[in-house]
Amino acid sequence: MGEAQEEGLEEEEHDKPRGYNINDNADLLAEVLARLDGRSLLVSAGVCRLWRVVSRNESVWEALCNRHVAAAGASCSGTRAVVAALGGYRRLYRRCVGPILDRLAAAGEPVTGSEAAAAAAATLSLSLFSIECYERLGVAGRQRPSSLLFLRSAVDVS
Amino acid sequence: MGHYQHSHSPADWSASGVADFDRLLAGAGYRVRSSDPQHLAQGLEQLDSAAAGADDCESSPPLIPCDTVHYNHPSDLTAWVDSILSDLTSAALPHPPHPPPATWIATVYSPGIHCTLEDQEDAGIRLIHLLMASATAVHRGDAGLASALIDDTRHLLTCVSNAFGMGKVAGYFADALYLRIFSPQSAAVLSSPAVDDILYHNFYEACPYLKFAHFTANQAILEAFDGEDRVHVIDFNLMHGLQWPALIQALALRPGGPPALRITGVGPPYPDGRDNLREVGLQLANLAQSVKVRFAFRGVAAARLSDVRPWMLQVAVGEAVAVNSIFQFHRLLGDPDEAAPAPIDSVLSWVAGLRPKILTVVEQEADHNRPGFLDRFTEALFYYSTLFDSLEAGGAGVSGDAAVAEVYLQREMCNVVCCEGSARVERHEPLARWAVRLGRAGLKPVHLGSSAFKQANMLLSLFSGEGYCVEEVDGCLTLGWHSRPLISASSWCSGDHVPSPETMTTSCILAGSNVINVKSDEVNYVSGSAV
Repeated sequence: MGEAQEEGLEEEEHDKPRGYNINDNADLLAEVLARLDGRSLLVSAGVCRLWRVVSRNESVWEALCNRHVAAAGASCSGTRAVVAALGGYRRLYRRCVGPILDRLAAAGEPVTGSEAAAAAAATLSLSLFSIECYERLGVAGRQRPSSLLFLRSAVDVS
Repeated sequence: MGHYQHSHSPADWSASGVADFDRLLAGAGYRVRSSDPQHLAQGLEQLDSAAAGADDCESSPPLIPCDTVHYNHPSDLTAWVDSILSDLTSAALPHPPHPPPATWIATVYSPGIHCTLEDQEDAGIRLIHLLMASATAVHRGDAGLASALIDDTRHLLTCVSNAFGMGKVAGYFADALYLRIFSPQSAAVLSSPAVDDILYHNFYEACPYLKFAHFTANQAILEAFDGEDRVHVIDFNLMHGLQWPALIQALALRPGGPPALRITGVGPPYPDGRDNLREVGLQLANLAQSVKVRFAFRGVAAARLSDVRPWMLQVAVGEAVAVNSIFQFHRLLGDPDEAAPAPIDSVLSWVAGLRPKILTVVEQEADHNRPGFLDRFTEALFYYSTLFDSLEAGGAGVSGDAAVAEVYLQREMCNVVCCEGSARVERHEPLARWAVRLGRAGLKPVHLGSSAFKQANMLLSLFSGEGYCVEEVDGCLTLGWHSRPLISASSWCSGDHVPSPETMTTSCILAGSNVINVKSDEVNYVSGSAV
């Protein structure tokens, strides 16, 4: 989890003349960060300014989403366009995919390992995301978007 | 709490589903199990003799003005047990309850008693008993007795926590009964659409019922639209249009590209002149445009669904039609013993005349349209207790919403209990009866697929509150709480023997040009007053 972080820091300390600094290559950094899990990715935004920018890169979050919930049957570019229109992968993960995965795991039905479950979670996430986007669109004059509040509230897993 | 055995009658969910009631009976010391009528008769005899000995203790409590204390009498007690049990297929075998009936009854009705009820469930049973007695009095037209009993209920409620559980529900029902006796007109006053909006929205957020309805219907519509190029969705109650973003998104991601989508939304006119339909249409159009789905919207303002005529919907030739009715059809029903045909039949026949590729129907799974008040009251008592129970269990995290959502349910319940005639619009009927009606109109059932089932299950596991369950019955899905079905979702399509309608030839806002257009100026507004 924190290895990529540590690696980056170490490199910065040793600095010149030899040693490769990951911060020199934003694309490579993005590749590395794309392999993190959601929480680590959020945390990594606090490392330094560059990391903050790179970790907010849509491609990083897209990789994260696709790793957990592959949208079965949909073409990549088609899905990308729709998700971008609805608010982007980062928002999708933070508002929908992340909480859904957490809830399902807490309910004892983790999505990992089952393609059917992953596909169902993808569909559900996108549906909920579209509702949230819709609410955001109409916010002027109405109450703030709230259809996803049920995902944010604490779950009693006793 | 007493232990009990509970046997399921597999064919009838109502027997297994009234587990709450069984639990309450058990708390009173009854052992509930299936038995034959002979045992029941014996049990009732036992109860009779036990209670007869208690007659001495039955001094009429000063609180009750009249002499005859009907509700105390053993025969009323068994009649109450009977009327409940007649709805269940399994008969109860009552034992002499602990504590014996005499002291039980006396404790409840003695005035000024300092309630030291340790057992909340014990109080729950007493509350039910009081409510049933009060409802019986109302049924018989004895307003004096009924209001006295309601006072008793409220007195008992002051001892019992009415912040949650049976106490709260009992309070709502006591209020509803009171309203029925003294001011039924106020109960029938329709609140403004703005208030309806807020209540609906909170109900949408606080519990999964509406989401389940939307997602299941959308899945059926999506599957029906497979391979279609031009599709038309008719929504019989648009509200905020929360059902449609997910469908728009799913159509956008459809392999092979999205079809051209038209949505026609029906809704009540707003008294302050605000054009809710248009606003929602604009919002949907914005969303559709952002995901590159060709989209057009049309609004039909009608106070009642029966005011809508097919020509207002402007169904075009060659497009696949989906009709969506979420909790709307039951409002068109009338009293079952009335000779005149209810509006539902004509509406269903023109819906069938549209030859819909799919008709999605979501209704409450309850029998709240019985002519007899007591029957209706009993059904409503158990149905809404279960609903409120589920709200409470899931409402911990979104407490504000849950409270407002309860008002939504409370209003519905009030309509069932307090109103009569045309004022009563919440005329819920179970799915089996809807199936017959829809079949008569010429519609064939379409099985909801396994993806709908899986999606519903996954949706429910997101909601806190462990008791939700989805079941599949004959291709229809029902969502319930602790094995009591509460909402049923089903889908239908036009049968082959439905005569071809004239509507398709006359209206046709030409299938080509202006209808299929993304932009917001396509929002048409039609006033749907009776033609």
